[in-house]
Amino acid sequence: MGKVKIKNLKKSFGDLEVLKDINLEVKEQEVICIIGASGSGKSTLLRCINALEDASSGTVEVDGNDITRADGNINKYRQDIGMVFQQFNLFPHMTVLKNISFAPVALKLKTKAEAEETALKLLRRVDLEEKANVYPEQLSGGQQQRVAIARALAMNPDVMLFDEPTSALDPEMVGEVLNVMKQLAKDGMTMIVVTHEMGFAREVADRVIFIDEGFIVEEGPPSEIFGNPKNQRTINFLNKVL
Amino acid sequence: MNILTLVVQYWPRLIAGLGLTIQITIISLILAGILGMVFGLLSVSKRKTLRAIALVYVDIVRGTPLLVQAFFIYFGIPMALGIQLDPVVSGVITLSLNAGGYLAEIVRGGIESISKGQMEAARSLGLPYGMAMRSVILPQAIRTMTPALINQCIITLKDTSLLSVISVTELTQTGRLIIANNYRSFEVWLIVAVMYFVIIMILSKISKRIERKMSYGKSKN
Ligand SMILES: Nc1ncnc2c1ncn2[C@@H]1O[C@H](COP(=O)(O)OP(=O)(O)OP(=O)(O)O)[C@@H](O)[C@H]1O
Ligand SMILES: [Mg+2]
Repeated sequence: MGKVKIKNLKKSFGDLEVLKDINLEVKEQEVICIIGASGSGKSTLLRCINALEDASSGTVEVDGNDITRADGNINKYRQDIGMVFQQFNLFPHMTVLKNISFAPVALKLKTKAEAEETALKLLRRVDLEEKANVYPEQLSGGQQQRVAIARALAMNPDVMLFDEPTSALDPEMVGEVLNVMKQLAKDGMTMIVVTHEMGFAREVADRVIFIDEGFIVEEGPPSEIFGNPKNQRTINFLNKVL
Repeated sequence: MNILTLVVQYWPRLIAGLGLTIQITIISLILAGILGMVFGLLSVSKRKTLRAIALVYVDIVRGTPLLVQAFFIYFGIPMALGIQLDPVVSGVITLSLNAGGYLAEIVRGGIESISKGQMEAARSLGLPYGMAMRSVILPQAIRTMTPALINQCIITLKDTSLLSVISVTELTQTGRLIIANNYRSFEVWLIVAVMYFVIIMILSKISKRIERKMSYGKSKN
């Protein structure tokens, strides 16, 4: 059974049709990497999965729940869909520990003590335990992104969405974030990752999706997409980025 | 009679006037704070009608002189309704509505100064809009809003003097009444001006301190 099922998804901004007909099924524990040129609609697709953008038509099911018709349940559904942003988006007025423990406590899923214990465990997992009590602005970009991953994990999500999580980082910090993501994949997290890191896609993805002009043009295991791409547009794109 | 004897002679009345000025300022600012928060939130709403309501309110406040607003509320509305309004009550209503409009703009600006990613990150965790606004956006927005908020407090304090025209015996009206007795325009207006000045200076000093205290986590390392 698919964890995420996207059927005939279309999304327009005014006259601009960004997603034209997306069909995609992501299985439990599968790691999907989405690649494609700038402006091809990768972020928009990802943001439709947790309804940060409303789909124009089509359905997006996560865990059997139709996100596009969530009505009053969207907050409930979103708790199970973690998201990591390019710009980290940590809350600057909260300590690292509070960033991670805030939502579970505010939503009454955990007591403060429980949430902080979980937060510390997650910080250990991303190797930042000693930073629990500092504010985000005192961290490097790589550290901030690792905290952001921990914050998303604190909700115990079924799926994690990553929108170019390393694109805003200095090159020397990319590795530490990718390592955390690799570990997460190894632990069996279902992940959908928009990335320009072809090395990561090749190594970690179960399936690579190439998007162009609002369509999924080609998809397959990384060995095929990178080793033997069939579509001319995929070939052109890979020639540019590799 | 020199200026000091004048001060001594009229001190109780001047202090009473100043007291009323401060009371009206505080009450008006509290009510304006509520109005400003409500209409500020409406103005960043996703719903067009709510934004339109806020826009109309702010435009009316900004598009008419405070003095006309005061006359309208003290003379105009009671006339139309066949009632009488106490000058102080009318004054408080006027200043609350007026400052509320400006505060709504300050609140809107403060909220819009926070990057969209903050709201998105909060919502992506499953937080409802209101909770995200209250716990994530507003605490940050208030920091950027603080200088403008303090400025509005000072403006409202000064605007109370316009209520003298609807015979509220705040500090300015007190000065006018005293001059009507003794014709000592120069000395009395000087005293009144100094009293406003001192209060406003005290206020700015306090607010500077608040502003400094509000920066979080900065330069701790
Ligand atoms: N809120 C919006 N309003 C209007 N147009 C938008 C909006 N968001 C995205 N777009 C447009 O939709 C198209 C796809 O944007 P999207 O961000 O999904 O691309 P992307 O593949 O993620 O690109 P990048 O690699 O640069 O992040 C772009 O042309 C963009 O300008
Ligand atoms: Mg993008």
